[in-house]
Amino acid sequence: MIHKRLAPVLSVEALPAPGHYVLTFEDAELAQSARPGHFIAVAATSPANPGSALLRKPFSVYKVDPATGTCAILFSIYGPTTRTMAAYQPGELLDLIGPLGGRVFLPVVGEGKHHILVGGGYGVPPLNFLAKTLPGETVTLIHGARTANLLVGSDGLREAGVDVIACTDDGSFGVTGRVTVALEPLLVPGAIVYTCGPTPMMRAVAELCVAKGIPCQVSMETPMPCGIGICVGCVIPRPDGSFSRTCTDGPVYPAEELIWP
Amino acid sequence: MAVNLSVQIGSLTMKSPVTTGSGTFGFGSEVKDLVDLSKLGAVCVKATTREARRGNPPTRMVETASGVLNAIGLQNGGIENYLAEKAPFLRQFDVPIIVNVPGESPEDFAYVAERLTEAKAADAIELNISCPNVSHGLDYATDPKLTAEVVAAVRKVTALPILAKLSPNVTDIRPIAQAAEDAGADGISLINTVIGTAIDARKRTFKLANKTGGLSGPAIKPVALLAVYRVAQVVKVPIIGMGGIMNATDAIEFILAGATAVAAGTVNFVNPCAAIEIAEGIADYLEKNGFSDVKELVGAVQ
Repeated sequence: MIHKRLAPVLSVEALPAPGHYVLTFEDAELAQSARPGHFIAVAATSPANPGSALLRKPFSVYKVDPATGTCAILFSIYGPTTRTMAAYQPGELLDLIGPLGGRVFLPVVGEGKHHILVGGGYGVPPLNFLAKTLPGETVTLIHGARTANLLVGSDGLREAGVDVIACTDDGSFGVTGRVTVALEPLLVPGAIVYTCGPTPMMRAVAELCVAKGIPCQVSMETPMPCGIGICVGCVIPRPDGSFSRTCTDGPVYPAEELIWP
Repeated sequence: MAVNLSVQIGSLTMKSPVTTGSGTFGFGSEVKDLVDLSKLGAVCVKATTREARRGNPPTRMVETASGVLNAIGLQNGGIENYLAEKAPFLRQFDVPIIVNVPGESPEDFAYVAERLTEAKAADAIELNISCPNVSHGLDYATDPKLTAEVVAAVRKVTALPILAKLSPNVTDIRPIAQAAEDAGADGISLINTVIGTAIDARKRTFKLANKTGGLSGPAIKPVALLAVYRVAQVVKVPIIGMGGIMNATDAIEFILAGATAVAAGTVNFVNPCAAIEIAEGIADYLEKNGFSDVKELVGAVQ
């Protein structure tokens, strides 16, 4: 059930990556009901703030702890909303609506399955959440970034038994080059790919999977003015020519349903 | 002290003077977890056309300074889809339904109005003769004669209250409002969005695929407030004021300018409960200032 709430902020932790933060907040209901791929819509500025934002901004759920009733999101400073969020002190209130998203990641588990999570930049937090929901499964995270210090969001996964393959464009850490370099040799029967990150990266991953007949779930990123299905502003085209709202019909789509710009 | 918030728009009784604005609240079902729909003055649903419409390609909506620029292009499933799938959900709640109807000809408007009337799937019809994002939409409300033609065509087929939703993108809105009233409109909705555009300097492109869009949100409130004030001087039918209303104070300003009711629009994207909270805020204002009825405020600023 979607709720709107002022959730107490517990901490805002700066990450080594410049301008990146993890915000942890209390929301027992969200911690129970959120699934990997769900997001929340945050309103963090008021018109009194210079350069304030009018609309909410979406953030993928990064971590949940149902035992303590806490949740976390990972963000980097981009505009007034994130600038305000980075300055929150414990006890301040995060104005959120969530959990949002109609279709989220739907893992198919079982013997012989290899879950390959392909993420870049902002896309890794929901994949981190997804990996934690797959205990006992064979899971690989291919984690791409421009450079080593921007590899954020994969913490705790090696400890959870996930094989993490880092790829950096500049070769400063892990495999040199794009995520598809590391992905291609793994695309054998039994593989299931889940991807979230910059659109060009997801397109390359999705097209590679479709060509090889490997199932691939893509979490689409579009600006979401409302996040709850009422503005119809966040659409992407469907194969039949109609338009799909990424907030409530997505954000996760099977690769074969996507038409890339 | 209990205050009276109920208002009347033709034969439509609203228990609070706050409705949702068309296109900013879906068909109600989207927000069922968040909003007690029975507490709204009315639900004004997303534009419903004779045939289904795909809408415009993305990008459809961008945020601007204190506003939102949209070119959705009236995406909707058409009148039969509304009657079969949308209206039954809303009819479970004790709340009047205003259906926003665009059209490409007077016959289109009349057809949809007639279907709504037969099916008892609306309590009022808002004629969207002012959508800036589709051809043959803007045209009607820029011309008193065309406005009157549409209103008269719909008047012939329905006894439901007719609201004419007018465009601010005109030299003088008053003769158009008068034409709507003379042709039989029971109320005037003011205002639709203000036409505008946004350009991406980095990509050197228009931000919207449609190039132009309709601006809403706090950025247009002064434009809307003046339109309400001016039209209130020249028509006798009630006005539903809208355009950038974010809170109860904004709503009260519209009522003081001459609106009988108001619509919460873009604010729903941020807070889908806004229309209910605004109504509560109006009640609070009335009590604190010694009024017993919201109607005492209508047009009180002259």
